[in-house]
Amino acid sequence: MRTVIIGVGNPVLTDDGVGLKIADCLEEKYRGCADVTVRQLHCGGIRLMEAMAGHELAVVIDAMTGGSGRAGSVYTLGLAELGQTRNTWSAHDASLAMALELGAMGGLKLPGAVRIWAVEAKDVSTFSESLTPEVARAVPRVVKEVVRELESGRRARRTKR
Amino acid sequence: MKRVSIDPITRLEGHGRIDIFLDEEGNVANTCFQVLELRGFEQFCVGRRAEEMPVITNRICGVCPEAHHMASVKALDRVFGVAPPPAANKIRELLYMAFFVTDHTTHFYALGGPDFLVGPDAPPAERNILGVMRKVGLDVAKQVIACRARNHKVIETLGGRQIHPVAGVPGGWSKSVSEDERREIEIAARQNIEFALFTLGVFETVVLRNAAYREMLESDAYHHRTYYMGTVDPGNRLNLFDGQIRVIDPEGREFARYDAADYTEHVAERVEPWSYLKFPFLKRVGWKGFRDGAESGVYCATPLARLNVADRLPTPRAQEQFEKFYETLGAKKTDGRYAPVHHRLATHWARLIELLYAAERMLELATDPEITSPHVRNLPQGVVGHGVGCVEAPRGTLIHDYTTDAEGILRKVNLIVGTTNNHAAIAMSIRKAAGQLIQAGRVVEEGLLNRIEMAFRLYDPCLSCATHALPGAMPLIVNVINPSGDTIRMFRRDG
Repeated sequence: MRTVIIGVGNPVLTDDGVGLKIADCLEEKYRGCADVTVRQLHCGGIRLMEAMAGHELAVVIDAMTGGSGRAGSVYTLGLAELGQTRNTWSAHDASLAMALELGAMGGLKLPGAVRIWAVEAKDVSTFSESLTPEVARAVPRVVKEVVRELESGRRARRTKR
Repeated sequence: MKRVSIDPITRLEGHGRIDIFLDEEGNVANTCFQVLELRGFEQFCVGRRAEEMPVITNRICGVCPEAHHMASVKALDRVFGVAPPPAANKIRELLYMAFFVTDHTTHFYALGGPDFLVGPDAPPAERNILGVMRKVGLDVAKQVIACRARNHKVIETLGGRQIHPVAGVPGGWSKSVSEDERREIEIAARQNIEFALFTLGVFETVVLRNAAYREMLESDAYHHRTYYMGTVDPGNRLNLFDGQIRVIDPEGREFARYDAADYTEHVAERVEPWSYLKFPFLKRVGWKGFRDGAESGVYCATPLARLNVADRLPTPRAQEQFEKFYETLGAKKTDGRYAPVHHRLATHWARLIELLYAAERMLELATDPEITSPHVRNLPQGVVGHGVGCVEAPRGTLIHDYTTDAEGILRKVNLIVGTTNNHAAIAMSIRKAAGQLIQAGRVVEEGLLNRIEMAFRLYDPCLSCATHALPGAMPLIVNVINPSGDTIRMFRRDG
């Protein structure tokens, strides 16, 4: 299954870069793997939809604020809850849901499934390349979860065949 | 005083809130437009090597990284006292034109267009890019996607990466252009011209030939007589990449013309207690409040402003459109130049004329024999210690100002981003639109949010840039507040 993993965020705004840091780790894990591409994006909306095009499964990793948990809490979301992460839409064009519909109108081949991991951020308004310790602790956990999910998908498909 | 606020939902950052204060008679007394503050950009940069800046500053914003990259490398040329070879300047401009094509295209179809193509009073569920596509034809969705894809490819080819270019270095560009690459870019440029002409055709058919939209375009609600700022070449023609900054007065007379390096002699920044954003104004005129007219130092730096400051456009088809723009909107021509157009909604049309100009300029550069020259960098020989770089970003004149020590380590950084220039003008446009909708305590609820949003959407404010942030969502809440401080109405849009 052609899979794209997309870390979204700003690398210089403290915890906003958590999705990018997780993508870095996953890039290392999946280097050389033909059917998994890892990308980093700094804005959402149409750009995020374009990054998904041509893949069957899209995994998006982003920071979020205002969730019910503490900093570093991890949420897995579907498309319906997308409004809750920080960067999946762009104030300059469209929400991801709208962008996906635009892509479909434009004849792009879009993923049948979109999975989102969101990490509750502590600070997204101070310029820094480092995560806060609470959020940094979530990085290995999300990496593990994404890998586990992709692997279980693979095993399921192999069993099916 | 009563207050009406347009406020964001707080779970998202990078938000805007508009407060509308009413007086005892229930008329609009004042409006405030507030955004989130981000902290520590200067401290983040100070102490770093200056040459890191083109890559750091293009992280400020996920929407216009190319603009920050270019302003930054131009500032570095000066910090290190090295002029780039002609081919490097042309490659930089070529990439920049591809960026302008995507940015202006996206703005028109996704943000500006819906108000006109779908209608300002259409339900929000329809007033979006999908509604536009349903109106103008699904094939246009393919064209918009194809336009973005081919220009992203050009940016990747020239800039080393599809997003956040990395190829700019002090004294030039880090990779030259091969003949094969040039040929592909030429094809993309030709397609861009066709697409720009098509888009201008859509604007003519759907907007200009529709009496109601024409009336809205020229209505008093979106009219301001201010100074205008933009970059021109030595012949006073529009230039988005390089030249001198020209400022004209509300009558269209040249008020100032200067090198970007001298910006502090011409522009000062006003701080208001209610906003983290600064309000730049023309120093020589002075700050007289949020007011129109030649006595007020408020200016505007947008696509409309850039057309207003230019005597003409340098490319043939864009020049035809430029003339049509001023003739259609009834601007008089004296001494070889048109009087400025003050209808702010015409900014959407001006943006499309710039789209055509950028596409034509892209073709000129892609067919320039020098573009494939291997000589794309001059090596810096020392450190001058100070440099200002400037380009016209899609949302206004962008300035990067760096000071370093003798080793090239940053000691001071100041940015004036496109949107910042327009803060006062945006605040005035919001107040005027609100004033038309709220009179004698009567709040016209139907469409209020959108009519007010239209007033700032035409500027396409990049609040993330303006607060040195990344672009996040910009959900909006408008609060209407009475003289006792009670919020009497609240309108919200959840992004």
